[in-house]
Amino acid sequence: MSDEHYFFPPARAYPLNQCLFRIKSDPAFVARYAKDREAAMDEVALDAEARAALRDFERDRLVALGAHPYLVFMAGLRLKMESQPASFEYF
Amino acid sequence: MPVVAAVACPHTPQLLIRPETEDRELVLRVHAAYANVKQMLTQARPDVICVIGGDHVEGFFLNAVPAFAVYAGERISGKFGRYDYTLPVHEPLARAILEEGIGREFDLTYSQDLRLDYAFYVPLHFTMPEPRVPIVPLYVNVYLPPQPTPRRCYAWGRALREILDARPERVALMASGGMSHYPGTDRYASPDVDWDRQMLATLTAGRGAETARLTGEELDKAGNVELRTWITLLGAVGDVRAEVLCYEPSWHHGNAMVSWPVAR
Repeated sequence: MSDEHYFFPPARAYPLNQCLFRIKSDPAFVARYAKDREAAMDEVALDAEARAALRDFERDRLVALGAHPYLVFMAGLRLKMESQPASFEYF
Repeated sequence: MPVVAAVACPHTPQLLIRPETEDRELVLRVHAAYANVKQMLTQARPDVICVIGGDHVEGFFLNAVPAFAVYAGERISGKFGRYDYTLPVHEPLARAILEEGIGREFDLTYSQDLRLDYAFYVPLHFTMPEPRVPIVPLYVNVYLPPQPTPRRCYAWGRALREILDARPERVALMASGGMSHYPGTDRYASPDVDWDRQMLATLTAGRGAETARLTGEELDKAGNVELRTWITLLGAVGDVRAEVLCYEPSWHHGNAMVSWPVAR
């Protein structure tokens, strides 16, 4: 189905999904990523296309490369939590 | 002992850390509904809360994707920015659910080492009764296709009720799942509020068993992949009329809280 929102993550996109997962779920990794993105990306076996899409953090490109949409969403939110902590209200 | 409470709650992290994009008044109205649930749970005096949640690729990454899982460790921890939770787990009940579930031919995965997902700690942050009680995290795969069918979720919920009815603990059941939302997709800003309202009408009419006939495609289309957690709970509560405690659709999320009378 071409119109489904959440699809089976293609195996070729595993490194990209792994990188998004670590941004989302590994506090030490997201801190390293926020500080030196290129060095952090070196820790995951990303190809040039995935690296470029991550640099721009363009959702449609990332998803077209096989990134899980939810991981793109939450990795983006975590990066924002890291870079702009004052823009959130904490309950 | 009977199940002493049954509720369904949203868990979207914007309720815990509100970005500037979110309507503060709406968030506070959802918090008020959480406070009602907290009061309801406190009055029910549970020994344990079984939380049926969908992992957001947090405990389980692509190393293993179980359709249904039981966390059977002593405690479980999760972190989200400045929030850091460690919750005790009711190990005897977790183990009984696992063993009895396997005995009923539900091929459950179990773990004693998972990072707790916010589907579990966001609602508990607001609704943990006083005194605090241990939990049993019950996992349903909602985000990584192929997910279990609604029919199978319902059947697992029904078996879960049989297992719980034979136990000595007073159990509160909580399904944690948002209604329509499409995080990370181009439909993010258009939740299917009409679908949600129709579903809530079905549930308040006491026709929860109909959810077992939904298809995975329908849930995905309606932004309701997480309804699988509710459907599992519906299998446990049966066709009783739901009470809607709140339905507060934001620009991207159908925040709904629902309770079911569970006395048999």
